[in-house]
Amino acid sequence: MDAIYQSEDVDGVRFSWNVWPTSRVEATRKLLVPLGAMYTPMKQNQNTLQVPYPPLHCKGLCTAVLNPFCTVAPPYRTWVCPFCLQHNQFPPHYNGCITDTSRPSELLPNASTIEYLLPTKESAPPIYLYIVDTCLPDDELQKLIDSLTMSLSLIPENSYVGLITFGSMVQVYELGFTACPKSYVFRGNSQTAFKAATLLDKLGAPETLNLASKRFLVPVGECDDSLTTILEEIQKDPCRVPSDRRPQRATGIAFSIASSLLQAVAEQAPHTKLAARVMAFIGGPATVGVGMVVSDDLKEPIRSHHDIVKNKAKHTTKAYAHYKSVAEQAVAAGHVIDIFSCSLDQVGLYEMREMVKLTGGFMVLADGFFHPMFQQSFQKIFSRDPDHQLNVGYNADIQVTTNRYLKICGAIGHVSSLNVASPNVSENEIGIGGTSSWKVCGLDQNSTFAFYFEIANQHNNAIPVDQPGLIQFTTTYQNGQGKRIMRVTTVRREWADPSATISTLANGFDQETSAVLMARLAVFKAETEELPDITRWLDKMLIRLVSKYADFRKDDPRSFNLAPNFAIYPHFMFHLRRSNFLQAFNNSPDESSFYRFMLNRENVSNSLIMIQPTLEQYSFNGPPAPVVLSATSISANTILLLDTFFHVLIFHGEMVAKWRKEGYDKDPQHQTFRDLLAAPKEDAKNILKDRFPYPRYIDCDQHSGEARFLLATIDPNLTHVSNPQEQGNGEVVFTDDVNLHVFLEHLKKFAVQS
Amino acid sequence: MFLFDWIWNMLSFLGLYNKNAKILFLGLDNAGKTTLLGVLKDGRLSQNRPTFHPTSEELSMGNIKFRTYDLGGHETARRLWRDYYTSVDAIVYLVDSSAPERFEESKRELDALLSSDELSNVPFLVLGNKIDVPGTPSEEKLRASLGLTQTTGKGKVTLNPGVRPIEVFMCSVVRRYGYGDGFKWLSFYLS
Repeated sequence: MDAIYQSEDVDGVRFSWNVWPTSRVEATRKLLVPLGAMYTPMKQNQNTLQVPYPPLHCKGLCTAVLNPFCTVAPPYRTWVCPFCLQHNQFPPHYNGCITDTSRPSELLPNASTIEYLLPTKESAPPIYLYIVDTCLPDDELQKLIDSLTMSLSLIPENSYVGLITFGSMVQVYELGFTACPKSYVFRGNSQTAFKAATLLDKLGAPETLNLASKRFLVPVGECDDSLTTILEEIQKDPCRVPSDRRPQRATGIAFSIASSLLQAVAEQAPHTKLAARVMAFIGGPATVGVGMVVSDDLKEPIRSHHDIVKNKAKHTTKAYAHYKSVAEQAVAAGHVIDIFSCSLDQVGLYEMREMVKLTGGFMVLADGFFHPMFQQSFQKIFSRDPDHQLNVGYNADIQVTTNRYLKICGAIGHVSSLNVASPNVSENEIGIGGTSSWKVCGLDQNSTFAFYFEIANQHNNAIPVDQPGLIQFTTTYQNGQGKRIMRVTTVRREWADPSATISTLANGFDQETSAVLMARLAVFKAETEELPDITRWLDKMLIRLVSKYADFRKDDPRSFNLAPNFAIYPHFMFHLRRSNFLQAFNNSPDESSFYRFMLNRENVSNSLIMIQPTLEQYSFNGPPAPVVLSATSISANTILLLDTFFHVLIFHGEMVAKWRKEGYDKDPQHQTFRDLLAAPKEDAKNILKDRFPYPRYIDCDQHSGEARFLLATIDPNLTHVSNPQEQGNGEVVFTDDVNLHVFLEHLKKFAVQS
Repeated sequence: MFLFDWIWNMLSFLGLYNKNAKILFLGLDNAGKTTLLGVLKDGRLSQNRPTFHPTSEELSMGNIKFRTYDLGGHETARRLWRDYYTSVDAIVYLVDSSAPERFEESKRELDALLSSDELSNVPFLVLGNKIDVPGTPSEEKLRASLGLTQTTGKGKVTLNPGVRPIEVFMCSVVRRYGYGDGFKWLSFYLS
């Protein structure tokens, strides 16, 4: 495991299998979790090599970048590409750099990951275009305006900002017109999306829409006073709302206009790569015009999971298509779309999700603009790294290169296909496939992409010993300062000797990465398949995996034994089946979309927290310690800290709560009790500080209503049926759900069946 | 399921057969709304997180289809309730009868619902849930605390037009006890 963590630390890559079978036949039989990688292109590591020059590419079809696995031999005039075996000449300025004892940086053994600084012609600082919902209750609108005003001081001074508001109409503000607030107003009930050309007509001559004219997009340093005034004067939408109606929100038109405006700007500067993000602040569902998700009549409820499954969601298909077309427009122009959904009810994230998914934007789901889940998350987007830079990337593309023994099946994550059908692309599509390159409009240090591979080598074809398994990930992006960076990660894994036992493969199994890759696949399937079918598929895959890799005597479940690097995998699957990713009950379609979105974004360790939350116990008997996520871990005189990634919860056992209510923590004699109460709060604070989006923070006592966050998450190994009279440790959970023990017993039974 | 054939017969006689009745599940947080919905939906008891976004399920009992809306009960979520009042056919109001310290708060919310113009003719089924918890106050105590000492009667009482049917039933959702009678009562007034 250490080697796996180390490789993740250096390269930001983790594989489900770290030793690979040498043929397609072997792989089909033995890789019962797909061969895949979790790749974090902006993973920060102080030791990453950075060089101020562009890379050397192989002149063959693979276009791979020179890397430490290339063969160079005296007289050091050429290098052999390990992917396609092409011989390449070094350019003249490399002469002399390479000798028996010295190598250029990119050939050094520690250059498995290296960042090149690419020459850039001209790069504009990022653009922030705000889309603001004005159909909010007064207090909510005020909170939002406060947050937006505050953000003006956090945006880098030379960045451009723009403002669009929407309600029954859409207003585009001409911030460059300083004499008085001036805006262009568009009707909200239009049934067709705005095309850039129509927009240009209304907003003026095309040449006035470039950045230099500073009309709608103005550097924040030049307009923050006037923009602050405009923000302060934003009025609630003037359209009167009868009590049996919803406010009229033209959300769909607002997005069309924003995207078209940015597209027009991009077309005016064809040689500059624009870095831009549309940030939409939405407090309710779209009710008019193209993209509406529900009518404004309150008699008509917004669609539920049930309606969607039964194909009875009236507006969903049309709305989804509209927002997807906006997403595609954004991807083509290279800008990011972020959505802050801040409402007690749904706003239509389910229909709008592709705009965020395909562009790599941020998605935040909060109860309102007053809530820290919005305010803290929004602020965190502008937080700077130790060098005072925003740690974000724009306009990225990711290219995956493999040698000829491997093929790429596809990617799952916030990417869109660039449709590059290179020879190493498999016909067997997993996720977004049929390509070896993907576009990512926006990414940050956490953005992680899952790639799925297959072994393409034929059974009778022996792989030469000097050709290891190699994959190269090349990500080119524009950083916060407008510089183009190319990050190249080349990773090597061993082939399993075809004559060796299966334990060679087994030793290379990474159960954590495997669980996450399976979870992403399951969530990807959830877009098109029904949830019970997905659960059955997960079960089937799990049974096949353990019956291949466990030790047992046929038909004897008691003899069943899994090696440590497989042992927790069934636990992950148990919790995944129960999770909000695959259970729709008590979740709205918007909530499900949000949870699944986050699983598709995060790295292995954060994804694991989402799948199997962590539970930490604080007691008088020693330092805090992780405990099993089960009902038996609850006890009266301890405190628990639960982290589900989305919720951070402190749970006081009933005795602890009683002592606190009696005021023992105020008594100077009970310092240890005070320390006990403080410790989980301190740890929770540290989690909250680093987490994006800001999670729901709950501080509760045993037997309280909020304790249900914990009870719904733990393995219900004590229930009103199994332990009706249970006293002492543990908490009885009222559920018919199967517990982990029963799940594992069934698994063993099925696995050992002959 | 817990509803028997006679209801099916009765309701089809009333012309309710295959009609979609819109029912709201309301009540303070932790009253048991979602748990009840889960039990009604597929007969399974499950432990749920507190509800945030309202969710909707379609239930079939016998051959009647109900469309239920389960709304969050915590204080901020309650301001959403009125968005769901339009064209509602019945309200199921749950009270955690094992938490007498919250009866007053529950009464306040119930009173607000009862005095709402939009709901003036809508039948109210009040369920005193969690009677399995030891030490739970009696039905009389709960009725007194909620100001529901006078209700319209548990039998099939034909009411004068303009009188809203309202009744209290004690139940334990986790023991699957008591709410069936409540729904039988309610279905009589769904028209």
